[in-house]
Amino acid sequence: MKVVSAALKNNNTSQSFNKIFSRQISVESLGPLDTFERRHNSASKEEAEEMARFVGFKSVRELIDATVPDNIKAPQALNLGSEEYNRGYSETEFLDMFKKMAGKNKVFKNYLGTGYHGTHVPQVILRNILENPGWYTQYTPYQAEISQGRLESLLNFQTMISDLTKMPLSNSSLLDEGTAAAEAMTMCSAIARGKKPKFYVSNKCHPQTIEICRTRADGLGLEIVVGDEATFDYNDKQVCGVMVQYPATDGSVLDYSDVVEKAHKGGMKVVAACDILALTQLKPPGEWGADMVVGSAQRFGVPLGYGGPHAGFLATTEEYKRLMPGRIIGISVDADGNPCLRMAMQTREQHIRRDKATSNICTAQALLANMAAMYAIYHGPKGLDDIAKKAHGLAKIFEAGATKMGFQGPANPYFDTVTLKCPSGADAVVASCAKAEINVRKLDNDHVAVAFDETTTLEDVDDLFKAFNGGKSTDFSASSLAPSVNVEETKFTRKSKYLTHPVFNVYHSEHEMVRYIARLEQKDLSLVHSMIALGSCTMKLNATTEMAPITWPELANIHPFAP
Amino acid sequence: MFRDLTKQLANITGFDDVSLQPNSGASGEYAGLMAIRAYHQSRGDHHRDVCIIPVSAHGTNPASAAMCGMKIVVIGTDEAGNVNMDELKAAAEKHSANLAALMITYPSTHGVYEDGIREICDTIHAHGGQVYMDGANMNAQVGLTSPGFIGADVCHLNLHKTFCIPHGGGGPGMGPIGIKAHLMPFMPNHPSEKDFGALPVGGDKPFGTVSAAPYGSALILPISYAYISMMGAEGLKVASERAILNANYMAKRLENHYPVLFKGKNGTCAHEFILDMRPLKDTAGVEVEDIAKRLMDYGYHSPTMSWPVSGTLMIEPTESESKQELDRFCNAMIAIRKEIADIESGAADKENNLLTRAPHTAASIAGEWDRPYSKQDAVFPADWVSQSKFWPTNARVDNVYGDRNLVTTHAAIEEVESA
Repeated sequence: MKVVSAALKNNNTSQSFNKIFSRQISVESLGPLDTFERRHNSASKEEAEEMARFVGFKSVRELIDATVPDNIKAPQALNLGSEEYNRGYSETEFLDMFKKMAGKNKVFKNYLGTGYHGTHVPQVILRNILENPGWYTQYTPYQAEISQGRLESLLNFQTMISDLTKMPLSNSSLLDEGTAAAEAMTMCSAIARGKKPKFYVSNKCHPQTIEICRTRADGLGLEIVVGDEATFDYNDKQVCGVMVQYPATDGSVLDYSDVVEKAHKGGMKVVAACDILALTQLKPPGEWGADMVVGSAQRFGVPLGYGGPHAGFLATTEEYKRLMPGRIIGISVDADGNPCLRMAMQTREQHIRRDKATSNICTAQALLANMAAMYAIYHGPKGLDDIAKKAHGLAKIFEAGATKMGFQGPANPYFDTVTLKCPSGADAVVASCAKAEINVRKLDNDHVAVAFDETTTLEDVDDLFKAFNGGKSTDFSASSLAPSVNVEETKFTRKSKYLTHPVFNVYHSEHEMVRYIARLEQKDLSLVHSMIALGSCTMKLNATTEMAPITWPELANIHPFAP
Repeated sequence: MFRDLTKQLANITGFDDVSLQPNSGASGEYAGLMAIRAYHQSRGDHHRDVCIIPVSAHGTNPASAAMCGMKIVVIGTDEAGNVNMDELKAAAEKHSANLAALMITYPSTHGVYEDGIREICDTIHAHGGQVYMDGANMNAQVGLTSPGFIGADVCHLNLHKTFCIPHGGGGPGMGPIGIKAHLMPFMPNHPSEKDFGALPVGGDKPFGTVSAAPYGSALILPISYAYISMMGAEGLKVASERAILNANYMAKRLENHYPVLFKGKNGTCAHEFILDMRPLKDTAGVEVEDIAKRLMDYGYHSPTMSWPVSGTLMIEPTESESKQELDRFCNAMIAIRKEIADIESGAADKENNLLTRAPHTAASIAGEWDRPYSKQDAVFPADWVSQSKFWPTNARVDNVYGDRNLVTTHAAIEEVESA
């Protein structure tokens, strides 16, 4: 800033006050003031130098020079790839720039399924958990006494998974469905004490699950065999387990009781990869003999986010608890005899057992597991049932309309995903849908699969009809077809209750929900209270501007497999 | 955005490319080691399956190596806490024909920039192995040096550490890997491009797939992208310098109260340091857990307990804490040292004192008080605590009981209670 003139006249006439001090405005001072670096690096320059002197050095520079070995000091400055990145955006500059960039994403309407489904994140959960530093800046709950909030929420998650799968023991999340499946495969191998090097994977599993298992098997010295679960050789004594998908990747709901019987007779364990919403409608794997159940809790109110983060889950029987990977929340007592939640059986985990651990998993998906648990708490069993029935109902109506147009519907029952045989081939249908900004899944040259979810509306189904009709309107609509479509009970219809515990049945108004969320938050120490100087964890600032874009629809609502 | 972030991370790590697929640090370790394995196999070296890992490594290191079918050879550290060079050289020589990789963290997990890091990398390379660098301590490298420059072939980053993705109470995280050109062909791919016509991911000889989604937990990548883009090149370097400064400042404030375990050659630490609590067991019967629980009464989460060295606390302030906050935490630690001194001198009871009975709940002061110290000292041990109190929900948890009687769902509690 240039000071042009500071004409101080030593007389008291009022005239002299008018021109006592004037300067030019500098362009630099008119630039963005909301610079970020000083908000993140908290000490001022003066304080930093003072601290360096306290340590015994003349300056920060000298301290750093004495600390970083000479032979690894970088010879040139860091280059982040552009002048703007190197200079650093101010907070609003960044948001503007990134909003424009994100705007280039075309958010089509998705029916791709394959383990990822649209869902409505309840606003009360979005604002009070995902957008709330009191819920996202805590560390892993190793210090139980100051972590009872999220520990209770994770216990709710475990209870929810256990109820829906009808398996007694669930962990508090894995990274995703695919790696959860690989972990279950590893468990099967461990149960066989490593003596059975083969593992069967149904070809009806999601493609990414199959690939992850294939990769994981390679490293573990296992061999996976991908094929039709109905025709595997269950007498092969080299096989430690078999994995099925329920419903199958094409939507079919199949009876695996035969598979289970044969597998168990042959000394193999059964892993069921499941859809969590489907389990509100279908007989759960715990009731038809599965040994392990895996899946993703994404469609319980966690945004698609182009693939994640989502909470994967794994549930099993008491018998295999010591082989279970991941963190498990358990109940204990405190020094006063009061119940207290904590992370249980840590001796299975990598920080204690190292190369003998059940898995290498460390960081999981706690925040997303908490969101999914809150979704189930907010909707309750009846709310989830309604959501599931709606998705199923729309799927049935769609099948009815598609059949009218000459498509051939599926032979098997289904939950939310309708597979159709296309008289003119799948590519034509996919292209026609793409023109209408709709994504449907090409299964093979003749078949497409269309997956319905919580976000689908009657109007959406009408748009689908039009797209499947080559872009021409049909003389029927979803509403007009509805009365003629029947939804029947089948042998797969779930009879057992789920989510009967009070926690899933009392927080259904927004006030109740927000207070429950707040009550739990208040029990958790996080970065909103004080510094958390955990060595090796780097608990630094998670700035609000950094967090803001993750709830923008143009980022949050993209399906990971959208072309 | 993926393209720009990939370039930013590649430049920061000094590598040629980055895979955004692994969705945790451990997942990144697994992916990096699988890439190394695929590299050796592509050269016909199927027998190369030995992985050298220091005893001070994070538990995920050997756990990930085991998942890749590697045989783990553990090497020790010397009295200064650095990798024992003799043991490293001996192990590399002994397993030279079968050496796949070394896994190393830099600066070390003891908070020291080991001088011999280049020699370590050279030794491994000379014996045909690849160097995997665990990026957990990148907060002491960004802008000052880089794994690629130091000599690593692949590293993972913990975006939920160095690059500001929040911890979330136990996740989500992201663990992208930076890799050198010779490992790029083996980067993980994803079946969705084949089945859905999505963007191709991975090299042309991929070892496989590690996450269900092609870009892992893509939605949280913008957080790191925002951080890097707003800090700028100089800002990121200053962040690392401040992280180192803050750690050294705290070590200086505390070194006369608790012994600092390891230091670099000029008497400084990197971005974290270890306080040795073991002597207090002898002089006062105080365990490191007692200090961790007493810190709760002061409104603080404990530093890392008993890792990488049993009976210690490892402190990493980061650059994001003000001098006031650093001072407040140091004051809490110093006050606790005085409480321990009272035990040492006999002024406080060895079994029944402010530390062994910590943490103190609101319920405890509301009910019968039969302890030999005051309620005030228990729950309001400092002025700032009185002004802004965080109450622990429970008294100290019984871990043994919880593992012996495993109850993991609500329903199970009711069954137990009604039994």
